[in-house]
Amino acid sequence: MQKVIETLLIGLSTGSIYALMSLALVLVWRSTRVVNFAQAGQAMLSTYIGFEIASRSEIFWLGLVFAIAAGALVGAGVDYFFMRVLFKHATSGPAAVVAPVIATLGLLGLIRSIVGLTWGGEFKSIEAPASTDGFSVGDGTIPFSNLDVLIIATVSIILIALAYIFQRTNLGLALRASAYAPEIAQLAGIRTARTRTIGWSIAGAVGGVAGMLVTSNNFLSPYSLDLLLVFGFIAAVIGGLESMVGSVIGALVLGIGLTFILNYVGTSLVFIGGFSVLILVLLIKPDGIMAKGKARRA
Amino acid sequence: MRKKIAIFVLIGWVLLIIGDRVDELRVYQGAQMAMYTIALASIVLLTGYSGQVSLGNGAMMAVGGYGAALTLNNLGTPIWFAFLMAIVTASLFGALLGAAAARVSGPYLAGTTLALAVGLPAIANQFAFLGGEPGLLFDVGFPPERFGDEFTQYKWFFWIASFIALIALFITSNILSSRFGRTWRAIRGNSLAAELCGVHSSRMKVLAFTVSSGLAGLAGAVLAMTISLVAPGAYGLALSFALVTGAVLAGISSLPGVVLGAFILVVIPEISVALADRLGDADKLNNYLPGLIVSVLLILSVIFTPNGPGENLRKHRHKKPAH
Repeated sequence: MQKVIETLLIGLSTGSIYALMSLALVLVWRSTRVVNFAQAGQAMLSTYIGFEIASRSEIFWLGLVFAIAAGALVGAGVDYFFMRVLFKHATSGPAAVVAPVIATLGLLGLIRSIVGLTWGGEFKSIEAPASTDGFSVGDGTIPFSNLDVLIIATVSIILIALAYIFQRTNLGLALRASAYAPEIAQLAGIRTARTRTIGWSIAGAVGGVAGMLVTSNNFLSPYSLDLLLVFGFIAAVIGGLESMVGSVIGALVLGIGLTFILNYVGTSLVFIGGFSVLILVLLIKPDGIMAKGKARRA
Repeated sequence: MRKKIAIFVLIGWVLLIIGDRVDELRVYQGAQMAMYTIALASIVLLTGYSGQVSLGNGAMMAVGGYGAALTLNNLGTPIWFAFLMAIVTASLFGALLGAAAARVSGPYLAGTTLALAVGLPAIANQFAFLGGEPGLLFDVGFPPERFGDEFTQYKWFFWIASFIALIALFITSNILSSRFGRTWRAIRGNSLAAELCGVHSSRMKVLAFTVSSGLAGLAGAVLAMTISLVAPGAYGLALSFALVTGAVLAGISSLPGVVLGAFILVVIPEISVALADRLGDADKLNNYLPGLIVSVLLILSVIFTPNGPGENLRKHRHKKPAH
């Protein structure tokens, strides 16, 4: 019984990091209709910047703040300098539909090589902001640690802040409106292009947090966030790609499920487990768990 | 049709002559180029014709490579049968994957294939019969003795690879100009209109992914032959990135373009090594410079010539009379 509970708790901590990545993907998908595979690269770049600051100042939180700022800047930059130009050029012909996706792949490669050329390929680690020793329960200790509590708390604060922005502020209303019906939003006086860039920068910032948190009890390398991207994508698909709530639920379910596989079956099956979930969801409920049986939009 | 066969035979003859004239390294690069043409043809079929994106074509190549190696190592079959099994395994796998991801419209196929490419090492490590990180040997054997002592191993690779590439391109070009090619283009152009004409669009999209996977698998077996090995490292994300770049650079919907794309993909590492030598700090540069060149090329071409360099030329030609 104790093992079940500790698996649940760790799964919650893992899943909450997936939630950030899948939220970042969903935010961009809703506004731009592109799954931003470069999100892994953007998060990686922000995490490296956060790592530099954190290891020089020896304050994790300062690193996190810089990672958030870097993520927001890079996200906005990607939309402003790449996506806008791209949508202006690739308007017709066989490549019009696929060009944005391919461009995000190119960006991922570009950021990866830049990071590799700057920081090299060695594994880096960030000093965790809290103890990674497990709590002691009764006689033994469980692998659930202060760090996990901190991760869950940080993610919860970010989720609450995002929910507040989206539900209670004019900016959130503008973001939702321009994602839902760009033309009508424009007619209502919303600058949709600028709103979209803001959406990208929020996604970038959220991705930066995900990168910092996942790195705080792991290593950082130019490839270390690829798996986070994949699991974030799977979580977003579980949630139906459209719904932010759905993606968070999907991420928690996925995180807990994969931790159960990890604890009860073995490390090597984690990826295959996640991949099977993706295939199953696509086969059974391709519109995700939040779909209400209405037709997909465009 | 007869004209097409004549052209392919002529190309094959020219390749034979070239193969005798150039040195070992070029012959080896020729085999690589043949491998890339097959792989790029699979992307042209999938992306350029049916309008779907696969970001993990390298992973499908790996499936073919493993299929061929397992056949050759365990059953001791002739080489041609191993290559055939590469196609069969990869298409079967593609059909299964496509039934889930290519059936629904949206970014699902791109994400699923990318996930597969990321997870390839984990999968190879999971199943013992795939040989884990070091992979499986894939040895097609020495060239036949009647070719004489002068005939090197690399030239044998080059012959096999070019022969397979010619056949594969011939068949692909026929598929693309057949009913299927037209139907795929119709779906890409307007899937609703295509469905109103009686096309079963999701089934056709799965079919496109299946055929494309078969081609990719064949390319994977050829790659395995040139390095005598099937290992997850050889089919990583970098390969998938390079393939997409080659396809976009050469014009994503032009089959003859794949030769140009393959040429570029073979040349990039050479340029990058030369650059790294000149700039110093060889280690970092060797690891990341090829990726940098590939991604910059990919981004530039996808922004400025998304439909390939051919389209811009055509545009200019059409514009002239108007002035």
